Amino acid sequence: MEVSALELAASALGIMLDPSRLMVLAAGVLVGLTIGVIPGLGGIVGIALLIPFTFEMDAYTAFAFLIGIGAVTTTSDTVPAVLFGVPGTTGSAATILDGHPLAKQGQAGRAFGAAYTASLLGGLGGAVLLAVSIPVLRPVILYLGSPELLAICVFGMSMVAVLSGKAPLRGMVAGGLGLMVAMVGSDPQTGTMRWTFDTFYLWDGLPLVPIALGLFALPELADLAIARRSIGGNARVDTRSGQLQGIRDTLEHWWLVLRCSWLGASLGAVPGMGAAVIDWLAYGHALKTEKGTERFGEGDIRGVIASESSNNAKEGGALVPTLAFGVPGSASMAILLGAFTMHGLVPGPRMLSDNLEITYSIVWSLALANVLGAGLCLALSNQLARVATIRMGLLLPVVLAVMFLGAFQGSRQWGDLHVLLGFGLFGWVMKRQGWPRPPLILGVVLGDIVERYLFISVGRYEWAWLSRPLVILFFSLALLGLVTPMLRNLRAAVGEGARLRWQPRLSPAALFTFLIGAMLTASIVVTSQWNFEARIVPLAVGYTALACAILSLFNEIFLRPETAGAEAAATMEGTGEEPGQDLRTVLKRAVEFFAWCGGYLLLARVTGMLAAIFVLILLCVRIWGREKLTLALVLAVGMTAFSWLLFDRLLAIPWPQNLLGEAFPALRPFLR
Amino acid sequence: MSGTRNSAVAASALLVIALFAPLLLKADAVSDFYAGRQVRLLIGYSAGGGYDTYARLLARHLGKHIPGNPTVVPQNMPGAGSLTLANFLYNVAPKDGSVIGTFARGMAMEPLLSGEGTRFDASQFSWIGSLNNEVSVCVSWHTSDVKSMQDLETMELIVGGTGSGSDTDTFPIVISNLLAANIKLISGYPGGNDILLAMERGEVDGRCGWSWSTVLSRNADWLAEGKLNILVQVALQKHPDLADVPLITEFADSEDELMAMELIFARQVMGRPYLAPPGVSAERHEALRRAFDATTRDPEFLADAERLQLELNPVSGEEIDALITRIYAASDNAIRLASDAIIGINR
Repeated sequence: MEVSALELAASALGIMLDPSRLMVLAAGVLVGLTIGVIPGLGGIVGIALLIPFTFEMDAYTAFAFLIGIGAVTTTSDTVPAVLFGVPGTTGSAATILDGHPLAKQGQAGRAFGAAYTASLLGGLGGAVLLAVSIPVLRPVILYLGSPELLAICVFGMSMVAVLSGKAPLRGMVAGGLGLMVAMVGSDPQTGTMRWTFDTFYLWDGLPLVPIALGLFALPELADLAIARRSIGGNARVDTRSGQLQGIRDTLEHWWLVLRCSWLGASLGAVPGMGAAVIDWLAYGHALKTEKGTERFGEGDIRGVIASESSNNAKEGGALVPTLAFGVPGSASMAILLGAFTMHGLVPGPRMLSDNLEITYSIVWSLALANVLGAGLCLALSNQLARVATIRMGLLLPVVLAVMFLGAFQGSRQWGDLHVLLGFGLFGWVMKRQGWPRPPLILGVVLGDIVERYLFISVGRYEWAWLSRPLVILFFSLALLGLVTPMLRNLRAAVGEGARLRWQPRLSPAALFTFLIGAMLTASIVVTSQWNFEARIVPLAVGYTALACAILSLFNEIFLRPETAGAEAAATMEGTGEEPGQDLRTVLKRAVEFFAWCGGYLLLARVTGMLAAIFVLILLCVRIWGREKLTLALVLAVGMTAFSWLLFDRLLAIPWPQNLLGEAFPALRPFLR
Repeated sequence: MSGTRNSAVAASALLVIALFAPLLLKADAVSDFYAGRQVRLLIGYSAGGGYDTYARLLARHLGKHIPGNPTVVPQNMPGAGSLTLANFLYNVAPKDGSVIGTFARGMAMEPLLSGEGTRFDASQFSWIGSLNNEVSVCVSWHTSDVKSMQDLETMELIVGGTGSGSDTDTFPIVISNLLAANIKLISGYPGGNDILLAMERGEVDGRCGWSWSTVLSRNADWLAEGKLNILVQVALQKHPDLADVPLITEFADSEDELMAMELIFARQVMGRPYLAPPGVSAERHEALRRAFDATTRDPEFLADAERLQLELNPVSGEEIDALITRIYAASDNAIRLASDAIIGINR
């Protein structure tokens, strides 16, 4: 048995190394890398679009192609994450935290070197884990029932504590807000419309892409706009030497790579646990287990390594339930499942017996794609690192335009752009006020599945499921993870002699907390009209978050400034403040930045998105960047043409209606 | 004499031309309109699901059967379980035949049953056809004591569901409400295959609302090994494979109950519905219908469907029109029975 499996693995490698298949795999990798660089486009888009091309291929080649696309989007998504703080896919948001500060310090090359090497090794780690666990896949998955999946997700949620740094209360509030955002829309149990405010847009819930871009990307761009300098500033940009340094960094931290890779692969196998949280959980794991983590969030290379090695391993894990049971571990796996049936393959036990050779060829495709993807990125990263030296006035409008188009891929409605801007503003204030943002995204992604599995567990087993061994284990780990950092902070606060002050101190921070509290209260009040089953979980979350918000507000108002300040400034993320900026300038420039964004939205409603992009880039580059008119014109024409080709011709996006087009139907074909 | 004959010939020739000219002209008008044009096929769901797969398959082949051979471009316009698209097609989309769409199979009955958020009159849509008349089944796993519908009078069957509004939730709810059957629904599974996995590991006893074609393509081994008891088939007509399995409508006790069932399960006939907005000119509507029919007989289309393992039981636009007319003529009592059965949450 052992030997025959090995033989099959070897013969599968032989099949994959066929030159024509390798070519197809390489083509898939190229498509995947391109898609990964563009925010908002993930592997799903590519796979769905290109599946017809695989009709005529044999099964091995078809999977090589599709897996080539899916496997490397999380390799190249590092590029915009490091350079602009814009995650290329939702899986690289955690890379921003340290990758982008590195770029600002002129070390983009090092960040790239480390990230690609970590992606490569992480991806390989995931493939290896998949390969060696093939014999035990089915029993393991059959053992994991809904209560166990719930416990794993709750354990994931408990990472909120680590990811909140020294602001655990704020982290809890942010996590609670995230969970509540996840519950917007039609409730899966009863069909109750929760927090939809009579808009169709909210029926299906808020899409993840604009939320992630808003929370993490827009605040970075706002701060770049406020700082008014090129990304790398005056620092010399490292290229070749930095890259080598990055590779060395990763190899040095091989144990971290391995841990995060296996974490990513294992969590990837849990349906619903998407790329958007796995990078954060790995980042949290690194924070928890590594020594000397004070510099995390300011450009510690280990932050980049943890995040990147986990998100490439994820695909290997996601393949597990897909192959063994036909239960897609991720959205792109759901499409891959369609490709399986197309080639007459039925996911299930036979993939692990009769069709084992195909399964192994899939594992090899995954491994080869990761090698190719990382290799290509490494080869190109010298040029890419230099982007950090380009003037902000040229770069920012282009990145902004791409981000609007990317956010629009969330659900292809105007609402996506409102979500982007809303969460962008909220995220920027959070960042400036020292509120941790990762707990929020954790809540958004995990909220839905936690509620689902909770209802299934209670509906099926009432409370008996709480006594299952794995449930007890993961719940205890979660509790431990939540409570220890809190106690440590409390002890530290007492040690530092936190004392109440009797003169209340009102600060912008307190005002923001107060606003969040008011928002939570309003949300809780709205639930009174829902029926019990639709209301119980949102209420529990809402009250917990509100309690934490009130406690946090109390801290901010009544605690001595030193201790309260310590909580505010010491989240693990930088607040984006640069020396020598007074509040007035910051506010003025922030208003300017968000006004440009709002202006774009308004204009797009009138003229359509593409025409508005032309105007945005032209005006932005000319007026705000003070560049030459011809240069602005060239950029605007180039970007508009590129967007038109990609989104209109290639992706065939249904553009939303615009006012001019409605008024003058003859103009419609030109107003996209 | 010959003069009169000649003039008679000339007159009849003229008559013939006069009779057929509009037809010739119209045919040209239709193909003139579509030639070189893009026809958008809007899909009410995001990429990757069943509706998307069927629609993309149709889009690949439909164009060559429409006069003028337009390119048919599939576009995803998700939102509110495809309600957004239904409202868009009815109220906003151009009514010139350049936009067609596909949405949830139950959408046409939605105004009768709940009506929440619907801004359309289903009978006014220019129905083109349905690619599949689906037969779904309710099954119990071989370890369950429930082996037939009769057993449900005395024993409980726990089935899994994927969420409010889905077939896997609606069918068990309707059956247990209309027939007082002992079905307990555990809802919230992320997808249909998750329910099967839960069944395999003993978390639930069965699944109600599982299309027969999927059973065959995905779990034929379970059938062969006798791991499934097929309790009932949910459709308006029996599937040829399942002659021995009772049809859900056989359990109706009254005329109104039968009508209520037809009202709810008509969605099976419109399994993969295609339609154009209301008010598309009769010639273009006709051209789209005939193109649809021709596509469903196109060997290349059939070969692709075979490869994708998509079941095809085409239903013509005329048949859908007739069904909708019949359903909308249902008595108030039948409609009330149906809407009570569908929203009654059984716990």
